[in-house]
Amino acid sequence: MRNAHILALGTYLPEKVVTNADLTRWMDTSDEWIQQRTGVRERRFSEGWTGASDMGALAARRALEAAGMTPQDLNMIIFATLSPDVDMPASACLLQAKIGAPEIPAFDVRNQCSGFLYGLAIADKYVKTGTCDSILVVGAEVHSTGLDLTTRGREVAVIFGDGAGAAIVGPAEPGRGILSTHLHAEGRFAKKLWLEAPGTMRRPRLTEDMITCDDPPIFPKMEGRYVFRHAVTRFPEVIREALDANGFTVDDLDLLVPHQANLRINQMVAAALGLPEDRVVNNIDRCGNTTAASIPLALHEAVQAGRVKEGDLVCLAAFGAGFTWASALIRW
Amino acid sequence: MANAGLLGAGHYVPPLVDWFGAQRPIEAEPRGTSALAVPACRDALSRAHTAPRDVDCIVFATINGDVTFPGSACFLQDRLGCDTVPALDVRAQCSGFLFALSIADQFVRCGVYRRVVLVGAELHSVWVNPSPSASRLSRLFGDGAGAWVVGPAREGSGLLHCVLHTDGTRHDQFWCEYPASRQHPLRITVENVREGRHFPVLDEEGVRQFGRRAIPAAVREVLGKAGVAADRVDRFVIAHVFPEVVEEACSDLGIPAGRVANPAAEYGHLGSAAIPVAVSRDLEDGRLGTGALVCAAAAGAGFTWAAALLRL
Repeated sequence: MRNAHILALGTYLPEKVVTNADLTRWMDTSDEWIQQRTGVRERRFSEGWTGASDMGALAARRALEAAGMTPQDLNMIIFATLSPDVDMPASACLLQAKIGAPEIPAFDVRNQCSGFLYGLAIADKYVKTGTCDSILVVGAEVHSTGLDLTTRGREVAVIFGDGAGAAIVGPAEPGRGILSTHLHAEGRFAKKLWLEAPGTMRRPRLTEDMITCDDPPIFPKMEGRYVFRHAVTRFPEVIREALDANGFTVDDLDLLVPHQANLRINQMVAAALGLPEDRVVNNIDRCGNTTAASIPLALHEAVQAGRVKEGDLVCLAAFGAGFTWASALIRW
Repeated sequence: MANAGLLGAGHYVPPLVDWFGAQRPIEAEPRGTSALAVPACRDALSRAHTAPRDVDCIVFATINGDVTFPGSACFLQDRLGCDTVPALDVRAQCSGFLFALSIADQFVRCGVYRRVVLVGAELHSVWVNPSPSASRLSRLFGDGAGAWVVGPAREGSGLLHCVLHTDGTRHDQFWCEYPASRQHPLRITVENVREGRHFPVLDEEGVRQFGRRAIPAAVREVLGKAGVAADRVDRFVIAHVFPEVVEEACSDLGIPAGRVANPAAEYGHLGSAAIPVAVSRDLEDGRLGTGALVCAAAAGAGFTWAAALLRL
């Protein structure tokens, strides 16, 4: 079976920069507190009538251009998001229309912070089996419209930002490309980082009270310490799983591109693996946590900065809500 | 490179009750989409002689998850006790189960997973507009869950071909707009709820027309790919929100009604659950058995449409 590879990347970040100082206008927090706990200095917020598919479409066009392709060349669209444009249908459908792709399959993957890697793993298989030759995998989030930007919501709200990344996945030259993907979940911790409403545990699923009550279930909730503890265990585990599966060790790894949830998590993961800082990509200081968009954003930045060379061994890894976690090992 | 075959099926459909003047399966006390799927999965697993600990992947197709995030597959994984296997949520609306089947098939073909729990489940009743003025639409829907366990197929059986399509230019002909991440600064407001913008709406004529065209097109395409004539197919299982559209599509295809499962005629629209529920029912009743050739097709919101040809 042939390997699949990321043939090209494209990204989009909204223009509006929201600094930690800006957040202090809406909530009781401080630049020092946010930086110390999370490493975030600023994030981007979209404006106007911008949905996940609008940003995803901009990233997708850039990825297509970088690949020298047009939307007509695509065989499939996979869209990872937890902040879809509308409740239904999937954001992939809206994106398909926006980029003018033909009547190809377009679906959403709803796997939170691991969403891009779940989507990449699916794309990898369709290319391996020869079913598809060019798949658009998008991760895009508009978090800013789903956050409680008051002191009540600060624990979660200070972390997240908006953004989009897109990858074109197609056949690799022999010896290169995605070597393996590894996906996991542990649903017993689903409520440790979640957005309760709307959902199907209540009829009706959404009421005015859910928006106006003291503790609105329409905003995400997180038990931060819990998430942190699991992240620093699962990240090294799933990175080693990818290396072991291909007969490599941490020493062989040229670059780790982790999901950007919290700089402290990524520093602990690097330390646990014995990876020096120059072999780990971090951009959370400028983007915040963009969930499904974080890995393509960070990877694209690393590629553009010349940190990824042909032949490098690159590991993408994620951990987040679900809990879900995942990795992909790539010979670039 | 073995393709995915059906190893066991199960379904759960709540008892029929009066629902806006129609008899529909409605879950009396909703506890989440994943809870609806549990009995379906247990039956599917037992028929596939597979213990939950032997499952190596869960793929869950729904339009309404237990919560906004994480996905229902995560909740289901916990309810079934499937350790730390992947739990994937797929959104492709009414065609979601066939999209999910195609994805599961790819993982099986690559030899990555050997026992995949594949679920289509919908708790429509918590979502539709409960006001009497909307009963014409709300009465179309029912609750239900279907589950298949799929794994490497015997030579010549399993998923033989499938076709998947989307036309997002018509996404607002069958949709639910809110919550909408694109609405700034807040994706859902009291005003949105008061206006009922968080309920599904549907352009009836557009959706019917699309179904009449898309279902026969998808069936012809998948049969054409397989080089199989329609009269060789033992059973057609076709999902659409309007059961009359399924009848019209079948008459267009020249398929006698006796060879068609039209779940919407019996239950109302079960969305992604319609196909796995109907196949599980047919297996239970003995209408389908090993070796049968099944063609499943669906068309709906997105728009998405799909067809699959499967040898049991």
